[in-house]
Order: sequence, then C-alpha cells, then structure tokens
Amino acid sequence: MARYILKRALILIITMWIVVTATFFLMQILPGTPYNNPKLTQSAIDQLNATYGLDKPVLVQYWDYLINLLHGDLGTSFQYQNQSVSTLIGQRLPISAQLGFQALVVGVLLGLWFGAVSARNQNKKLDGFLGVISTLGISTPSFILAIVLLFVFGYQLDWLPISGWGDSFSQTILPTLALAVTPMAITTRFVRSEMIEVLHSDYIQLARAKGIGEDQVIQKHAYRNSMIPILTLIGPLTAGLLTGSTLVENIFSIPGIGQQFVSSIPTKDYPVIMGTTIVYALMLMVMILITDILTAIVDPRVRLQ
Amino acid sequence: MQTPILEVKNLEVSFATYAGTIQAIRGVDFQLFEGETLAIVGESGSGKSVTTKTLLGLNAANATVKKGSQILLGNTNLADYKEKDWDQIRGKKIAMVFQDPMTSLDPTMTIGKQIAEPMEKHLGKKAKEAREAALALMKDVGIPDAEEHIDDYPHQWSGGMRQRAVIAIALAAEPDILIADEPTTALDVTIQAQILNILKAQQKKRKMAVIFITHDLGVVADVADRVAVMYAGKIVEKGTVNEIFYNPKHPYTWGLLSSMPTTSTALGSLHAIPGTPPDLLYPPKGDAFANRNAYALKIDHEKQPPFFQVSPTHEAATWLLDKRAPKVVPPEEIQKRQAYWQEHFVKEG
Ligand SMILES: Nc1ncnc2c1ncn2[C@@H]1O[C@H](COP(=O)(O)OP(=O)(O)OP(=O)(O)O)[C@@H](O)[C@H]1O
Ligand SMILES: [Mg+2]
Repeated sequence: MARYILKRALILIITMWIVVTATFFLMQILPGTPYNNPKLTQSAIDQLNATYGLDKPVLVQYWDYLINLLHGDLGTSFQYQNQSVSTLIGQRLPISAQLGFQALVVGVLLGLWFGAVSARNQNKKLDGFLGVISTLGISTPSFILAIVLLFVFGYQLDWLPISGWGDSFSQTILPTLALAVTPMAITTRFVRSEMIEVLHSDYIQLARAKGIGEDQVIQKHAYRNSMIPILTLIGPLTAGLLTGSTLVENIFSIPGIGQQFVSSIPTKDYPVIMGTTIVYALMLMVMILITDILTAIVDPRVRLQ
Repeated sequence: MQTPILEVKNLEVSFATYAGTIQAIRGVDFQLFEGETLAIVGESGSGKSVTTKTLLGLNAANATVKKGSQILLGNTNLADYKEKDWDQIRGKKIAMVFQDPMTSLDPTMTIGKQIAEPMEKHLGKKAKEAREAALALMKDVGIPDAEEHIDDYPHQWSGGMRQRAVIAIALAAEPDILIADEPTTALDVTIQAQILNILKAQQKKRKMAVIFITHDLGVVADVADRVAVMYAGKIVEKGTVNEIFYNPKHPYTWGLLSSMPTTSTALGSLHAIPGTPPDLLYPPKGDAFANRNAYALKIDHEKQPPFFQVSPTHEAATWLLDKRAPKVVPPEEIQKRQAYWQEHFVKEG
C-alpha cells in the first residue's frame, strides 16, 4: 500500500510538471499583453516588464517559475497589485472547495438513490420519470440551470438569496443545486445500469435463493457490487465541477477561484491563470488518487501494486 | 408407498416476451420422496431449470405460474406464494446449487460470511456462532485448511473449491430438499467426480431429497434413484433409474440414451437426436417430439399422448404404449448399450 501510494505520488509530480510546462508555454502564445491601459508609455511598460521579469528570455522565465513553484511561490498578480497569487488563491480556494464539495455530495447521493430506485423499478413509470430527469440534467449546462434557479427561486419566489457568500448558509443553496444537477444525472444513469447488471448476476440469484429477503439482497450484495465502478466516476465528476464552477461562481457573485480565473483571462494576468490551472490540476489528480485507493479498499479483487 | 415430501401437479409456466408468450413449462407432474435423488434430464431448453427455479420462486420477472398449478410442500401450495412468503422456503426448506461456481459467489464478501448468512437468517445464529458453524461446514464439504481460508474472497479460489463453497451455502440452513442444477457442468472431469461424491455424502448424512439436473446420463446412472425425462416443457417419461436405462419406452428417451457417450469405442460414435425442439411460442398440437420421431404414428401429430403406466413406478407419454399401436422395439444402439451398462454400472435393486 505504501509503495503504491509512493508510486502514484511520483506519477502525480510528473503529471503536474507536464501541466505546468504546457500552461507556461501556452501563456506565451496567448495574444495581447497585460497592459491595456493606452496611457502607459513604452518606458513605463519596459519598467513593468523588468519588475515582473517579463523581459528575460522565455526559458529563463520558465526556469524561474519552476524554482519559485518548488518554494510554493506562484508569483504576484498583475491585476491585484502586490498580492501574491498564493494568497489570492488561498483566500478563495476554501470557498470554491466548499461549493464543489457540497455539490458533489448532494449530486452523488441523489444519483445513488435515484439510480437504485430506477433499477429496482426497471421499465416502470418511476424509472421512466427518473430517466427523463437525468437526461435533462445531463444535457443542461450548469450555468443555464444557475440562471433558471436564480430567476425562479431567487427573483420570482424570493425564497433564497441570489448572490454572495459567507453571510448565511442559504446563500450556498442555489449555486450548490445548480452544480449538483450534472453529477446527479450522470450518477443516476451510471448507478441504474450498473445495478441492473448486478441484479441479473448469478451471485444475486444465489443470494436470493438464501431466503434473506430482497432488502438484504440489495443492501448486502447489490449495492457494494454496483458501487465499485461508480467510484471511478468521481474523478470525471470533479473535473466537470471545476469547469462548471467558473461560470456558476460568476453568476452568483461568489468570490471563489473560478470567478477569479475567469476575470484573470481577459486581463492576461499570467501568474493567476497559471496558478489556478495548477491548483485545478492538482485537485483533480488528488481526487483520482483518492478514488483509486478507495476502490482498492472496497474491492478485494483489486491489488494495489 | 411413502408420502412424497414434495408434489408438483400440472405445473405450467409461461414467459411474456416481445415476440409473444413462451409456454416454457406445459403441465409437469412429479413427486419427490424423502432421501431420494430424482434426476431431471433433457436437451437444452426443455425446461429443467425453469421447473426447479419455480420451486423456489426464482423465475425471471416476466414469468407467470398458471393458476391451477400446484407445488405441494406439506400442506402449503407454493404456487400461490407471494414474494415475501418465499423467504420461509428458500434456503430453509429448499436450497439450490447453481451451475457456474465462477459467477455464483459475491466477489465482495468473504466466503465465510456468505456461508454464515443463511444460518443467521434461518437458524437464528448470532454472528460468532454462525462463523463457527460455517467453519465446520467448510470442513464438512472438504475445503482444506478452512480456518485459514474462511476470510478469503471468492477470486482467491479455484472453481472446484468455489463449488464446494456454493454447496456449503446451500446446506447452511439445513434444507430438506436440495436442487442441483448442472452442478458439475462447468468443472474439469476430475473435479466433477469429487463434487458428486461430496453431494452424495451430504445427502446421505442429512437424509435430504435431491433434484439433480444434468445432461450427462453417466452422472444420472451414478447418482439417481429415479429419473424424469423432459422434452419441450413436459415430462415424457419417468421411472427408476433401472427402468429408464434398461426398459425405456419413449422414443425421446431412446434418442437420449443413444446419444450417451461411453468409454467403449466398440459402441461407435454419438448419435445426436436429429432435428430441433419445437418453438414454444407456438407449441405443437400433438406430441411435441413427433416431427423428430422416426417411430411417430399419425396420431402423434394430432393428439398429445397421455401417460401410460408401465409399472407402478414407471410411466411414459407415448402413443406407442397404446394397445392399438404397432409393436416397436428400441433401436439396436440401445440394446448394445444396455449390455455394456450391465457390465459397467453395478446397480443394486
Ligand atoms: N426469462 C425468460 N424469458 C423468456 N423465455 C425464457 C426465460 N427463461 C427461460 N425461458 C425459456 O424457457 C425454456 C426452458 O428454459 P430452461 O432454462 O428451463 O431450459 P433447460 O432445460 O434448463 O436448458 P439447459 O439445459 O440449457 O439449461 C427455454 O425455451 C427458454 O428459452
Ligand atoms: Mg438449465
């Protein structure tokens, strides 16, 4: 187990290096410059370039960036002057993480429930209804849903606050729901098909032949076996949430990293763009690592090596 | 004669499909007596599995047991059972050993727990007691070093060992009736013999009645007291094992017996029965075997034959047994085989 985790950590570091390198050089070909104030003179620009090290050769800049990164230094934001990127991200990450976590938990739990209900009622009305819900959920982008929720529950019905973060838990409800629908829909479908397959397996037939009752058959045999493949979903769902959250945070004016990421792109705030990308990649990789370890724990057939 | 512990009367089971209604079981009658082994033989699709699954209420969701069918276990008619009633029967009164040990065990639960489960449910054992009992049972079915392996998962075991575990699960709640649906088909020949011996030993020890489904007539000769021959959803002949092997009456039984491989090369090659069974979406009017039957009479195509009693224990549904039918003797192939069996199967009684 320890060796496995070590090996995976090594792979993680190499992947992160590739991500850093790729983003760094992509930044170089991003059109435009961080200076969009027409009043800036050329000498002022030269001076700014010198301060931020943008006048050095690209490879030197890259090297500096890597070295700083190893020290946990992600550079300084252009946009928010004198703010280090790590501080900026450090302030905003907990907000995004909370939102993402809430959405993942709500989405996956609802999906597990709906999927299992669907499978047990295969081809009945309830199954059909949940099928429609999940198809809608998969095909509607979360930002559209965010706008609809905001309009209906925030504006028309005036039940829930429509923006902000940190004042009350109720502020988190609409953005969480908007983000939770896609993972809910994907999990529902996945659980349904897994569960149907498991319910037709020989070992479920044998479990039924024991006379322990259908509820026990489902709880002790069907759930665990359909759960294992579902763990592999957590990685892709997280990736979806990361991208979904950028727009949803903007719509609900939530001061998370998604919102900051979006605003950093038109202003060419290279250090913020890079820092955020690295954090996203890291979060995704860690999620995948966690699910792989979880899979190995619940599935006795998986040997970690 | 003793009273049967299980009596099936006029069992009819159909399946609703998009193509129409499949009449899989079309009036099956048989009795099962205490401590005996009844073998059910017949080609693929003849309804052996459906018949026995019906005894446990384990048919697919699209199955219907026709009203008027009777499955009498003591004073109760299982054919009237609702889903929740079955749990009193499954495992406790009637248990089942399935065909494929590679897929029959839950891959995510330890073998010990899987064996203990029916004990906890039906015998009211606490987890610790059930574990002890499961361990004893594992030893009983010949699992070596059971103490070390009780917490293994199925994937760590070979097919033969897994089938022992499946047998242990079936025996766990001490059933009166054990159904074994082709329990050795998926195994190597050497392992097959071991599994058969375990089943025979357990049956003797526990005085269980066994329904044994197989394609292998060699296995039938080895394990069975009585035999029921099934074809296209009906039993066409039943009798003691000697009656079926040495005095078979139904041409379908003749066909099965001549398709039986023997170790003697002198008997020549296998004689598979030509033709295919009828489509059970549209079951034929007369004897379902008529169009494959070299001895078919005109009436076979028009009217289903009733059972003709050959001896108190032997009956066959073929018009050849009618007084008016011409005298027909079984094919030469069968007679040759009978001489061979006489030498090789030592059967008392
Ligand atoms: N769920 C189902 N839906 C439709 N038809 C079914 C279903 N289950 C069984 N049948 C049909 O019932 C008939 C009897 O099947 P059964 O499985 O009992 O055959 P069998 O004698 O056990 O054959 P085998 O030797 O191959 O195991 C077959 O024609 C089969 O197609
Ligand atoms: Mg079968």
